[in-house]
Amino acid sequence: MRIFDPHVHMTSRTTDDYEAMAAAGVRAVVEPAFWLGQPRTSPGSFADYFDALIGWEPFRAGQFGIRHFATIALNPKEANDPRCREVLELVPRYLDKDAVVAVGEIGYDSMTPQEDHAFAVQLGLAVEFDLPALVHTPHRDKVRGTQRSLDVVKESGIDPARVVIDHLNEVTVELVRDSGCWLGFSIYPDTKMSPPRMVELLRRHGTERMLVNSAADWGRSDPLLTRRTGEAMLAAGFSDDDVDRVLWRNPVEFYGQSGRLDLSDADAPADFAGNSIKRGGA
Amino acid sequence: MNLRFGYGTNGFANHRLGDALAVLADLGYDGVALTLDHHHLDPYAPGLARRVSGLATRLMELGLSVVIETGARYLLDPRRKHAPTLLHDEREVRLDFLLRAVSIASDLGAEAMSCWSGVRPPSVDPQLAWDRLVDGCARLTEAASKAAVPVGFEPEPGMFVQDLAGWRTLHRALGMPRAFGLTLDLGHCRCLEPEPVADCVVAAAPWLVNVQIEDMRRGVHEHLEFGEGEIEFPPVLRALADIGYRGLVGVELPRHSHAAPDVAGRSLTFLRAAAGQSGGAADRAPTLGQRAPGQRRPAGAVPAPEVLRAALAAVDDGGWLDEALRRVAADPSVISRLFPAAARRCGRGEVLPGWTADEAARAVLLATLPAERAVAQARALYRHGDAAEKRAVLRALPLLPVGASAVELLHDAIRTNDTRLVAAALGPYAAHLDAAAWRQAVVKCVFMGIALTCVDDLDHRADSELAAMLAGVADERHAAGRELPADAAALLARLKAEKGI
Repeated sequence: MRIFDPHVHMTSRTTDDYEAMAAAGVRAVVEPAFWLGQPRTSPGSFADYFDALIGWEPFRAGQFGIRHFATIALNPKEANDPRCREVLELVPRYLDKDAVVAVGEIGYDSMTPQEDHAFAVQLGLAVEFDLPALVHTPHRDKVRGTQRSLDVVKESGIDPARVVIDHLNEVTVELVRDSGCWLGFSIYPDTKMSPPRMVELLRRHGTERMLVNSAADWGRSDPLLTRRTGEAMLAAGFSDDDVDRVLWRNPVEFYGQSGRLDLSDADAPADFAGNSIKRGGA
Repeated sequence: MNLRFGYGTNGFANHRLGDALAVLADLGYDGVALTLDHHHLDPYAPGLARRVSGLATRLMELGLSVVIETGARYLLDPRRKHAPTLLHDEREVRLDFLLRAVSIASDLGAEAMSCWSGVRPPSVDPQLAWDRLVDGCARLTEAASKAAVPVGFEPEPGMFVQDLAGWRTLHRALGMPRAFGLTLDLGHCRCLEPEPVADCVVAAAPWLVNVQIEDMRRGVHEHLEFGEGEIEFPPVLRALADIGYRGLVGVELPRHSHAAPDVAGRSLTFLRAAAGQSGGAADRAPTLGQRAPGQRRPAGAVPAPEVLRAALAAVDDGGWLDEALRRVAADPSVISRLFPAAARRCGRGEVLPGWTADEAARAVLLATLPAERAVAQARALYRHGDAAEKRAVLRALPLLPVGASAVELLHDAIRTNDTRLVAAALGPYAAHLDAAAWRQAVVKCVFMGIALTCVDDLDHRADSELAAMLAGVADERHAAGRELPADAAALLARLKAEKGI
């Protein structure tokens, strides 16, 4: 089973996770820029964070044979902090980078005017830099937040086929399905979605435009739930090809729209062996 | 050796052009360097198209190749030699002439068209002269590129651009366009270049489109018959063969017209004999990578930007790099958006040993920056770069006019735990690291499992203090039941033997 996790915050995870993910078949990940548990108080913190997403973290992932890509944005929660607003001026420089495959996570947290502004500006950047967009949907007031996100996407003029609306569930799935956007589902140990519920949604809505991610971060989460979902699909009678489509070909198709998803040799078996910093490699 | 010899028609000033061609063909020359002049295919006289067409036929009948030279003395101005040049107020006259020369070269199927800067008029200050030269060359190159005629710009002693260093500066200011090549006069090299003539040939190799040859003495710009100057020709001709130069090697003796047929005959005899003495390429000993400890680094250990640019010609980027370099030459600030895109546009394949296309392209982009902007831009690109961009900046540093002022980038890279950056920080630019920082970095490589082959100048620079540090690492490893990596163990053993530890 080859797995592309289209949304996982590896910065918060240990090398044990990388090792287990590689063993479970994860060969590529996208790490969206988001908030940390601790609020940031200056643009400089974001610059260092973005640098890590395109520098140190891909290097770490590479030690385990995993391709690491990123999405870059000012997230909606911190868009409300006036001390962080200048981050919007920092973002474009990162959108030129090879391993940046989308603008994200953008969207709503509390649906404030500041969030409206950051969301609209960054959708504009996605159009300008010819990149897809990753849209986070709020935990609170989720249905209205999702509807409003779809309205903003429509107003921006971006092709809905280049947008994924993430963290969906049984309540929000149909709204997005009808919009032409891609559908993202985060599989969590307790909250958000579980593997059996995900299987049920796939049964009802098919596999087209469906993305399954672990969204694992610094909270209680599990980067192997992509694999568990694949196993649950097989147990429920889905074919290997269905699983491959959901867990590999769909995310490759979506982020491939960036033109920067270099997966050459990603099908080769990972050669991680305890310490894979290769002598002679530079 | 398959060098092709030609002769300059400016050395046949007293002959009709048709007669000169016949003499040269009879003598056995392969081609001719045709200086457009009032009596030799005058580009301003009537019936040019018919005369060009007739000449093309005649050259074909005689089996002669041709390059076009534009150094006529009184073609544009009957009173002032070589005037106006691209530096004069009336520079459009010169440019018009050069554009005509491009058309003629194209119609004749010439291998190159050659030109020079001219002497800077005292009334034109150096900055204005430079701006005019860059502008004129840019317009000439654009036209030549469209006509698929290589431009060979010739450094000429006493002129505004008089040596290879000047050509390189001009080439970079133009954005290293592929259509802007070099005419190298080997006598001029003897006259004023700091390196031996054969080394000049090797250094110029990637951009060489036209070669002129004659004898000369150090410091005296006088074109001499072979044997009357100081040049030892067999090694020079061997260098031309070794670099795979396929163009004409044209004898340039403009002050010998009075005895042209005899001089041309003697010259060809001399050149053929010298070529015969120079041997083949195979018996030439490799010179790189065989430096004894303490010996100076050989020039060329780091490929010059011109060499990298030439190697990148093999990359199919749809003309992206050409355009990017042109844009950076015109406005250095645009490099911040072009630099990150290099890998997507040029790919990551190897173009020279140890140089991938993306790193080479980024190095060339940096080398195109004006000297006064190079440090600031290198710092900014490093600061905001991803790991591959940072690495490219580090590797380009020895190619840039930044002296030791970018050494803090090495310190930053060595502080990271990214093997790619640490390895790149220990290239030739690490000569600017002080001994303590350099030793720490070498030992860090051993800890990180980075092969010591990445450390430039290691054999020369390794000292007893480094040996003591490595011995300490070895002791810790042994205590833990582990060994030093083989390369570090070998280095330590050698240092112990040499330094008597």
